[in-house]
Amino acid sequence: MTDSVEIVVDGTSVRVPVGSSVLAALGAAGVWVPSLCHDDRFSPGGSCRTCLVRVDGRIAAACVTPAGPGARVEVESGGLRELRRDAVELIVSALPPHALTAGSSELADACGMLGIGIDAAQGAGGRGGDTSHPYVHLDRDLCIACGRCVHMCSEVQGTFALTLVGRGADTVVAPGTGGLWADSDCVACGGCVDTCPTGAITAPGAAAGITSAHPRMATTRTTCGYCGVGCTLDIVARDSGVAAVLPARDGPVNRGHACVKGRFAHGYLRSPERLTQPLLRRNGRLEPVGWDEALAYVARGFRDAVARGGPDAVGLISSARASNEENYLLQKFMRIAIGTNNIDNCSRLCHSPSAAGLTASFGLAGGTDSFDDVEQADCLLVVGANPVEAHPVVGARLLQRALRGAKLVVADPRAVGLARHADVHLRPRPGTNVALFHGLAHVLLAEGLADEDFLRERAAGLPELTRLLADYPPERVADITGVPAVQIVAAARLYGRAERPTIVYGLGVTEHLHGTDGVRTLANLAILRGAVGTERGYGVNPLRGQNNVQGASDMGALPDLLPGYGKVADPVARSRVEEVWGAAVPAAPGLRIPQMFAAARAGDLRALWVVGEDVCATDPDTTRINEALDTCPLVVCSELFLSETARRADVVLPVASWLEKDGTFVNFDRRFQRVRRAVEPPDGVRTDFAVAHALAAVLGADLGCPTPAAALDECARVAPHFAGLSHQRLDREGAIPWPCPHPDEPGEATLYRKRFATSDGKAHLAAAPYLPPGEQPDDAYPLVLVTGRRWAHYNSGSMTRRGGNLDLLPHDTLDLHRDDAARLGVRNGKPVTVESRHGRARLIARVSQDTAPGQVFCAFHFPSSGVNSLTSEHADTVTSCPEYKVTAVRVTLGEARTRR
Amino acid sequence: MSRIGAQDLDGSVPRDAGRDLAARHGRPGDRLVSALAAARAATPDPVASWAPDVAASLGLPAAAALGPASYYADLAAPRGRRHVRVCSAAACFAARGGRHVAEVEAACGADAGTVSADGAVSVQAVRCLGFCYAGPAALDGRTPCTGARLAHQLAGREPPAAPDIPSFDTTGDPVLLGGITAGEPGWQMWPRVATAGTPEQVWSEVSASGLRGRGGAGFPVAAKWAAVRDTPGAVVVANGDEGDPGSYADRLLMEYDPDRVLEGIALACFACGAGEAVVLVRSEYPRALTRMRAAVARAYADGHLGNAVHGSTTSLDVRVVEGAGSYVAGEETALIAGLEGARGCTRPRPPYPTERGLWDAPTVVNNVETLAAVPWIVRRGGAAYAQRGTPDETGTKLVCLSERFAHPGAYEVELGTPIGRIVHTLGGDLRDGAQLAVLQVGGPLGGFLPADGLDVPLSEAGLAAHGASLGHAGMVAFDASLEPLDVLRHIWAFAAAESCGACSPCRVGSRRGLEFAQAGEPPGAAYAHMLRVLSEASLCAFGRRIPPAVRSLVRAYGDRLAGWEL
Repeated sequence: MTDSVEIVVDGTSVRVPVGSSVLAALGAAGVWVPSLCHDDRFSPGGSCRTCLVRVDGRIAAACVTPAGPGARVEVESGGLRELRRDAVELIVSALPPHALTAGSSELADACGMLGIGIDAAQGAGGRGGDTSHPYVHLDRDLCIACGRCVHMCSEVQGTFALTLVGRGADTVVAPGTGGLWADSDCVACGGCVDTCPTGAITAPGAAAGITSAHPRMATTRTTCGYCGVGCTLDIVARDSGVAAVLPARDGPVNRGHACVKGRFAHGYLRSPERLTQPLLRRNGRLEPVGWDEALAYVARGFRDAVARGGPDAVGLISSARASNEENYLLQKFMRIAIGTNNIDNCSRLCHSPSAAGLTASFGLAGGTDSFDDVEQADCLLVVGANPVEAHPVVGARLLQRALRGAKLVVADPRAVGLARHADVHLRPRPGTNVALFHGLAHVLLAEGLADEDFLRERAAGLPELTRLLADYPPERVADITGVPAVQIVAAARLYGRAERPTIVYGLGVTEHLHGTDGVRTLANLAILRGAVGTERGYGVNPLRGQNNVQGASDMGALPDLLPGYGKVADPVARSRVEEVWGAAVPAAPGLRIPQMFAAARAGDLRALWVVGEDVCATDPDTTRINEALDTCPLVVCSELFLSETARRADVVLPVASWLEKDGTFVNFDRRFQRVRRAVEPPDGVRTDFAVAHALAAVLGADLGCPTPAAALDECARVAPHFAGLSHQRLDREGAIPWPCPHPDEPGEATLYRKRFATSDGKAHLAAAPYLPPGEQPDDAYPLVLVTGRRWAHYNSGSMTRRGGNLDLLPHDTLDLHRDDAARLGVRNGKPVTVESRHGRARLIARVSQDTAPGQVFCAFHFPSSGVNSLTSEHADTVTSCPEYKVTAVRVTLGEARTRR
Repeated sequence: MSRIGAQDLDGSVPRDAGRDLAARHGRPGDRLVSALAAARAATPDPVASWAPDVAASLGLPAAAALGPASYYADLAAPRGRRHVRVCSAAACFAARGGRHVAEVEAACGADAGTVSADGAVSVQAVRCLGFCYAGPAALDGRTPCTGARLAHQLAGREPPAAPDIPSFDTTGDPVLLGGITAGEPGWQMWPRVATAGTPEQVWSEVSASGLRGRGGAGFPVAAKWAAVRDTPGAVVVANGDEGDPGSYADRLLMEYDPDRVLEGIALACFACGAGEAVVLVRSEYPRALTRMRAAVARAYADGHLGNAVHGSTTSLDVRVVEGAGSYVAGEETALIAGLEGARGCTRPRPPYPTERGLWDAPTVVNNVETLAAVPWIVRRGGAAYAQRGTPDETGTKLVCLSERFAHPGAYEVELGTPIGRIVHTLGGDLRDGAQLAVLQVGGPLGGFLPADGLDVPLSEAGLAAHGASLGHAGMVAFDASLEPLDVLRHIWAFAAAESCGACSPCRVGSRRGLEFAQAGEPPGAAYAHMLRVLSEASLCAFGRRIPPAVRSLVRAYGDRLAGWEL
């Protein structure tokens, strides 16, 4: 083997990969030495000098010594054991006694192994601490200046919030801003907490002293239920609650990292506001009732609706938050227990254009490549996404890739987290993506950067696109988008000249009037470059906003598609499902979410079941949503809390969170991963899976699939893409990407290596012209509002507003450029009123240069702000995905009355 | 050339993401440090109140500024409208037992490390201003004041007094002092070499000369140059961070013959194929900074530097960067860290700077005195140089004698010259009939010789045989009036004050050592264990050399430090 070297450790040969350290070789040889500054997640620091061995006769710190071929390493001889002990004891000598008495730590463990007693800790202490932050507490007296926290913050997370300060014996970690931790640049990823070997940096409360290196007690492995990254987490439960959430070091996507949400935002689980009894509206008020009564009421309502309007008078909005198995069961419930295809999920509101666009371009409704490969790219084109805040672990990995030398092109109207590190930051006017992508494509063709062999052999549509692109020279695109032509050329060259470019994109591409065109014309770039389905790049990869956006659609929680993307209208696909289910599936596609609301307002939809979505907070044009719910005779809401939607429902069913149930999620790069019950749900709370079964039973239907495992097994029989998947296999192997048609073959992490999954096997270029957005600013509404996500919160905020995250970011803000702020007389931190043609919201101004002049930005994490009463009913012409990213607004000073 | 992958391959190579970040943001490097210095000069406020703004102005996270701002003594020390730096290092300590510091504090109305209540004056204790021949010394702003009447000068009762460096050639054919003692102009070789010479010729002569690094490590210069010769983008760093208290050889060369230093740099760059050189001058040498900068400007004007020098195909840029107050920042990896705008802490090697140094460029770090020898070697030939000194340690060395000597000053001597001759004949023993107790050779990392043990040749080999080290070859005489324990405390205080803190043995050990010395009781096993960890496990020579230096002091004092010989 040429990629490994053999070295000798105390007379025993071990073989390690080329480039390994001596410390890694010791690990391979099963030899323990203390290594207080070492953590596999980042490069070695060589600072604690405790992993002392003799290498070819010289004493060396094993962690920073390369394992050269034939190196002779002595570990035990010649007083080395004593030297290592003395080295640790010297470190301990500067610490106060509580370093070894106040709970467990790597340092305390090492002292135990080396026989160093508590009396070795002779330091006086007195350096003080910092407990200002809700999740990260500092005890300076325990800091050994090993720098692990700084490494974690810079080399893994990429926030650079921490530094060592002072020098010599006074060296200690501090937030880089110098003041309180709570006021620092810290984004509470928890990396420092997880790596600190001494307890100098800890999470307060039950999590203190629990780290991924030393969880101290049994853990339950699961997959994070926040965004779509799919971090593997190990849950430590204590007293029937979550004591700590640890990032799994062997997590395939997160690799020992996590973010403020997954790691810390679990306080909502035991919130006193948690619903634990079904609620039924009586005399206009929601009152607690038993499950039997609630379910009987719902069943009666569904029957009434069917009786009056047929099965299509019932609709279900399923949840991208729920598991695959729950989504599978819910769509089956609708299709066979009710007899309608009126099921949709909230990917409608985010990535339905991705599904449609990627399918049209390449054949399958998912990202084209594995993130493992994406991260090997030498040019990252990140479009319409703010992964640093919305997908923090992916954002961190992308940033590290850029720091290691990959070119970085960011296309986003805002100065999002990655933009400040970009080689080129393109800032198109909201709603002009298609023109921008055409401009880039124009340059690729004009400068001979296209892959002609690939285009000839594996792509279709080049002549049409070439003709169209003639109309999109950089100068004209600059006029449309506001992006200077020189930047368009520069970005195209970076992408076009890279050896392995990749595209990563988010909702800034999809949530537009022509979102599907945006996805397709973005995909054009990868096709032109031959950077998809080849080894010359890593395709086109959407960042999914919610934990199971991919999976909910994969499971057929869609009005036109069955599990595994068979078309409802296709008799062959339908019959395959019917054979397994033993029941007929209606042939007509059902209603999409916006159509359900329209049907409800028209009186045609008579019963609507909303699972795990706060549509009144997160769907566009809240006023019209409220009208729909008020008109619909029966609204059922499955929720953890009394959300805005639940408040308007007739029946509210208290359901379990992701930490309280079993199943699987599919993350953004198509990995099926297991979700496991880490804590019991509160008494009275049921899983969505159990609710679907119970309701079916009341209706006299049998959905089969008694367990989540059985549901995935059945899905595997129904959907060829998933035929090789099962809980048993996932338990054995960990994450498995789909397509996975065979139980004994790995899934396809990288798609289209041989052919595209389109009918002709080719990638399809899209010659869609640029069309303007639905919302346009005018004199009355002169600013353009873009909405999105903030780092500390998640969607409607129902999970993140109940716990310490609220301290991190206590309210929604409206970002506006300082020029606009000056013109409007708006000052930072002052209340403003935002009005659109559709509604009004009240926010706190945040003056910055993150947004361009003429544009404003806000999130919608606090329903009381009323942000989605501003957004319009404009939606993607192909998929009905709302045009969240473009709303014409005006901003005025002060607190106007908000409509609720 | 893509950097991708290089760092991914090697699991034992430290990566510094902060450095990657700075590289992405235009490599602010020394611009960051100078911006911090400018901010610091304007305020008595703690670093946290101004460093983050400096970072933001350069597009960096706050941490990128707070780290170095709190590390470097010049940046951390608060400033009044008038800033007085008082030397507390070896020669100034030896001059009057360190009493001058309190006198200066009284004269200025501020304790060291503080600002007077009215914000008028700040005092900062620094370790060596290069006036070891005339100490004790202080810099009042940029104005040097020296001598026993130091406090009077600072109080305005007497005019500032700072004699020039007495310098003497003892060899008859000076390599280093030709310009200073014989008026030989600089830049004699460079025009000819740049237009008609080859890098190979320069390298061959230096190789034949046997020249070794004069900064303390003694590494063969030609071998270091050879390590970068075939790699594009090499950089030469001239290390003018002469941190060793007791030595002022680099200050002498940079202030009195900067052209010779620059010509040496030009020749080194030529031999290494480097198009860029950086001269790091410590902030404690303000006049050296001024004169080096002026010499660089002159060299550009005269066509020695810049594009196509003297009509050749060789282009060479040299810039001068100011240090910010750290002894360890003179160590080559720490020096590079400082030039990159980071805390001046040692980095583990490998990678060696010649493989991956300043911003990952192959980097040669040579001491100023080393480079100043190169013009002579190129002019007279490596063989001629190799005949000087001793067969194993060729050439000449500048030896600096401290104020306690009857004839203090800088002497160019052949390597191998008996130290006894230097002390008795050149230095004329101590002034005013004082008795030499111990002689410190080579700065804090060098070692001590007893007064009756000077029969040692001035060479690394000779000194090593006596548990000492050549270092920078500064010689500080400690006379019999000093308490041995005070000298021991002084050494530990220096170690504790200058330890960079990057590795635990030195970070903790230097402070523990000082605590033991302050307690004054002969220590026990814990002290011995600490010394062993310090010498065996420290990241760089600073920590590793403290124990031998301390042990040599204890040996040199014999019975007077009984109980400390561990």
